[in-house]
Amino acid sequence: MKVQCELCPKRCVIKPGQSGECRVRINIDGVLRTVVYGYPCSIHIDPVEKKPLFHFLPSSGILSLATVGCNLHCRNCQNWEISQANPEDSQAAFCPPERLVALAKYYNCPSVAYTYTDPIVYYEYTYDTAKLARDKGIRNVLVTAGYINTEPWKRLLEYVDAANIDLKGITDDFYRQVCFGTLKPVQQALIEAAASGILLEVTNLIIPTLNDKPEEIRQLARWVKMNLGSDIPLHFSRFFPRYKMRHLPQTSSKTLDMAREIAVSEGLHYVYIGNIRSKTGQNTYCPGCKALLIERSGYTILQNRLKDGFCPDCGREIYGVWK
Amino acid sequence: MTRRKFIEKLIKAGSVIIVGGWHLTKKASPRRFVRALRIKKYPGSLKPLRNIHKQGKWSG
Repeated sequence: MKVQCELCPKRCVIKPGQSGECRVRINIDGVLRTVVYGYPCSIHIDPVEKKPLFHFLPSSGILSLATVGCNLHCRNCQNWEISQANPEDSQAAFCPPERLVALAKYYNCPSVAYTYTDPIVYYEYTYDTAKLARDKGIRNVLVTAGYINTEPWKRLLEYVDAANIDLKGITDDFYRQVCFGTLKPVQQALIEAAASGILLEVTNLIIPTLNDKPEEIRQLARWVKMNLGSDIPLHFSRFFPRYKMRHLPQTSSKTLDMAREIAVSEGLHYVYIGNIRSKTGQNTYCPGCKALLIERSGYTILQNRLKDGFCPDCGREIYGVWK
Repeated sequence: MTRRKFIEKLIKAGSVIIVGGWHLTKKASPRRFVRALRIKKYPGSLKPLRNIHKQGKWSG
């Protein structure tokens, strides 16, 4: 008997013995099963700034994990070796939710990140671990493309504290041609995440010739401001030629600076550039008095002038989870 | 056959067709799931946890 997976907008109809597009959700005897529950292919402690999250527990370590599989197939994927891998060809460790939470405690990590591939495809593992972590006082972070249906998304958000969600482009054509997905569900997931009250940051990877036109960047920044709010941090990230897009050059620092200028001019308060060294592009400034609040170099914080989440100069509250 | 009996037979036959059709449609359409159940054995190979304290090489 066929099954239909209702987790993501692809709504794969899966024949017995076969998997959905994500490769990790399979039909066994007419029942949908996940083959990656408790089997991460990667677990590391990263700086939280690497996610990137610049407004969430700065300079803390975050236990970061992923299983193989992804429901999108971006031609530029930076982690394609694991996101596009078949589970049967991969290596994984056995690490059920209890052990993950114990690891976070052991390494003094205040939070766990479900990242690298996409936590949507290891939904049950993410959900159960997040629930347990919440009980034990550990916070949960999603790094995701946000390609998920509303009902499971809302259920998962109940246990999420922060998320960095990709908005990979602002046209449906881009999503269809580059990612083999669609734009609308991602925008919906972003709106629901913002409405849920979690700490939200957005990343846009700028790929030369595909989504680097000034008018597209302006449209994207406007959409973020109108639908999520001007306080939501937006990261413009540098593209490196990978996977099926090795023919394109890496994004120039000029393009990233231009994107940042456009987004700031559109009224976004916190705009950053990533995957590149920049003197000012990774710093946080007060939207009120423009004072330097957090100075960063790569993933390192050089100085943090915030006083309990407020600007020390003008007293304005700065969007974030600071402790 | 009286008119009454004919109508009774017609209703019975119609009911059988409707119920049968509904049953076949239900059988042919896929079962829907949001949550997936876990399996016990990983289809790939297992490795020990190592280098957790080191920064991950993957993006994100």
